[in-house]
Amino acid sequence: MIIWLLSDYDHRKHLAFKSLLARFSAAYPDTHIEFSVKSRHSLWESLFAHLRDPKRNPLADVMEIPQNWTELFSKLGMLSDLSSSLEALSQRRYPDFILKELCRHEDSRAYSAPWWLEAPALFYRPQALKDAVEDPDKELASWEGFRAALDRVRAPARRGNFRELSVPGSSGSVSVADVLPRVWGRRGGLFSDDFNRATFSREETAGGIEDWLELAVSGKIELFSADRFENGPRPAEDCAFIISSRKIQGAGRSGLKMLPYPGYPSGGGLMLVYNLAVSASTVDHGAAAAFVAWAMEPRNASAFAESFGVFPCLKSVFEERLRDEKETVVYRRLFSAPELKPNIMVYPTAELLLERALWNLSLKIARRDYEREDLTRELIMAQGEADYLLSLY
Amino acid sequence: MKKSAKNLYGAAPGQAFYEGRDAFMKAALEAVSEQFALDGASFYEYEEKTGLLRLSQRHAYGVSFEHEENLRPLPGSAAARAIETLAAASAKTPGGSFLYSPFRFDYCDPSGGHSVIPCFGLVRMERSPRKRRFSAAESARADAYLRSYLRDYYKAEFFSLHRKYDKNVTAITELTEVFATALRVRESFRHILSGIQTYFGFDRVRLYLIDEKNRKLKGELSADIRGQIKSIAYEEIPLEAGAHRFADIVLGRSSGAFMERYKDCVLYMPLAVQGVTIGLLIVDNLLSQQRIEPEELAMLKSFGGQIALAVDNSRLFDKVEELSLYDELTKLPMRRYFNQRFQEEFYRAERFKQPLAVVWADIDYFKEVNDTYGHQIGDKVLKEAGRVILSNLRKIDFPCRYGGDEIVILLPQATGMEAQRLSQRLSQELAELRIPVPFSKTKELRFTMSIGVSTFPQDASTMEGLLEKADDALYWVKSHGRGKIALYSDVAEEKKKAAEAAETKKT
Repeated sequence: MIIWLLSDYDHRKHLAFKSLLARFSAAYPDTHIEFSVKSRHSLWESLFAHLRDPKRNPLADVMEIPQNWTELFSKLGMLSDLSSSLEALSQRRYPDFILKELCRHEDSRAYSAPWWLEAPALFYRPQALKDAVEDPDKELASWEGFRAALDRVRAPARRGNFRELSVPGSSGSVSVADVLPRVWGRRGGLFSDDFNRATFSREETAGGIEDWLELAVSGKIELFSADRFENGPRPAEDCAFIISSRKIQGAGRSGLKMLPYPGYPSGGGLMLVYNLAVSASTVDHGAAAAFVAWAMEPRNASAFAESFGVFPCLKSVFEERLRDEKETVVYRRLFSAPELKPNIMVYPTAELLLERALWNLSLKIARRDYEREDLTRELIMAQGEADYLLSLY
Repeated sequence: MKKSAKNLYGAAPGQAFYEGRDAFMKAALEAVSEQFALDGASFYEYEEKTGLLRLSQRHAYGVSFEHEENLRPLPGSAAARAIETLAAASAKTPGGSFLYSPFRFDYCDPSGGHSVIPCFGLVRMERSPRKRRFSAAESARADAYLRSYLRDYYKAEFFSLHRKYDKNVTAITELTEVFATALRVRESFRHILSGIQTYFGFDRVRLYLIDEKNRKLKGELSADIRGQIKSIAYEEIPLEAGAHRFADIVLGRSSGAFMERYKDCVLYMPLAVQGVTIGLLIVDNLLSQQRIEPEELAMLKSFGGQIALAVDNSRLFDKVEELSLYDELTKLPMRRYFNQRFQEEFYRAERFKQPLAVVWADIDYFKEVNDTYGHQIGDKVLKEAGRVILSNLRKIDFPCRYGGDEIVILLPQATGMEAQRLSQRLSQELAELRIPVPFSKTKELRFTMSIGVSTFPQDASTMEGLLEKADDALYWVKSHGRGKIALYSDVAEEKKKAAEAAETKKT
């Protein structure tokens, strides 16, 4: 059996999966498993390569996919229905906000099983904010408050590598993953509520993207960071703020505190969910589904998620983790009104269109020839393409 | 020492077979990590235009993984030096020890051009701060090892190119056959689109044809990435500048900016035969947003002429078929076509034990119409009769101009009563028609039809029998005053009664 795992900026995920597989192999010595770690881009290419030429480009038996790829690839006939072979799915043992986007149009079928989720949040070091922020809970609740605090933060003496803000998950450029939490915070989105048209250039959406780009324009985040290439992500001790959707390793030791993502005064926000899917072309659906069922067992799902600072999706262990969290209060606020990216057919492509627009803008910002009109133009073009896609699919 | 190092490090590379670039990079990073006790090794491609290093593969802590990260080297750093000088460079930072081994290959343009495509980048080897740094000797050995390994890179490239080449050869030979046979197959457009999808596998292929008469670009078929084909006949685009971008493309007025935006994942291919545009083929990778490879674009463009010819031929073929099977005047199928369909429908009726009715109609006094008003008026009568008949039938019904003014209509799954109802509707509509005759006193002409109906299985159990009985019924109407409808069963009953009456009279 072959498994494709999505790559992660945090190598702990890969190691956690390797150890998960070792335990599975010990429990089921007759099942031979190989896995490879694919980037999001490469997984996308592999899935379409399979569609174009299935014989030359076989799919893995089990694949980790972003939750909102499910509708697209199930519609293209590439994923197996897991509802009858997975108890967690048939018994609907997931929080409601996850179930809502699992299968938009069908209640009886499910083409992927939610595995783990992450919630973007703001981490700060009170010591670094001493002269800049008096009441972090209040002042950092809004984006404007957070932004003003960023301007007030000063590097402490003898800290040459100090950064006001660090984004450990960054890929170098401004990406969709960076901007969407802020877009959601402004109540924007890529499509209208009825999914009949794209809304990239709507004020709330464009404003959310602009808020994040402004961080890059003003130098609060460094694009294509040379420092990151040379030294890797900045240690928490060197940063005043960190925006991360993972629990940060050694957060307590570094004196980090946590708050909801700025701009969600009442809590809630965009959550990112990752699922396991079984390919429709697998020769042994039983074995593949059995692996997914095993990975979804509370103990396994919990241990895997815990090892790289995310939450398991299974309701029982999700709630248990929420109870046991040191930052329970913050997480309860985060999960008070969670939202997921819509699981509709054209959404993943729309994200690619926005990604291309953000790449072009990132290059412009890095070259210092970015202007506000560039954003408007890129968003209008991307929106036009997304609208055209909606008319086709 | 040097010799043993060569034995130790030189044996593994060069012997393996790699299934493409990714597999090669993964093997290279795993091998160098193992040989030099590294904590991590990463493969970066360098983009000279942006000055960015693009991470694509990494091996760390015993796991190989693909990853995407675009970063730039710090000016003056070891990485920047390695890129500038194409020589290995090492550095020690608080993050650990690093050794940068640059590479540069030039390989042939896979699109078949004569240019070479440079692949430029570096491999970063790293050890955690707690471990020993790279000594000068070790750096040299690691760099040499990697270089000898990367010399095999051409094999991985060759494998990828070979796959493409293999696919292209198959496409050329088989698609040529597909387009050539498109003329002979019943659903030729479907055949052409299927052929394109089998060998290219685009997200979508759409075919539009120009309807010159109505100045429209009309949708024909669309094939998706899974090869499923559906009709897009509902799409009709006025062939006017500015009406739609497809119309602009066909008219040669599309904007450069628009084409530029889409050029990587959409190909708009106007189909032209002898300089006349007949349609538009659109292939796209819009859903996947994947670039259509230049060689694929080139090949599809080279097929453009053949596709256009195949499309045009199949349209001509349809036209010829239409002319040979349909009567130009009434637009009704002709007798040859009818015989073929009658056989099919009769077998169907027999097999599924369904009724089948035959309606035989004849325009009353048609010879007199021709003789009195001339053939032009006679043709008008036939034309109108054809129009009324076609507009009153179900999709499964099949009419035919059987000869002269005789029209036969097959009504599958229809009983005698249903056939009679249809005949009455036809008679009524025809009787209400007024054919203008400017030179006559009345200025117009009215006409009627005599109709005979037979049904399977009640009246006959063979095709010939059915036609014969319908003709009998028609003859009975004609001999009883015309302008009426008769079911053969009624005629037979009447005949029987008449025969009995005659017999009684005799006795």
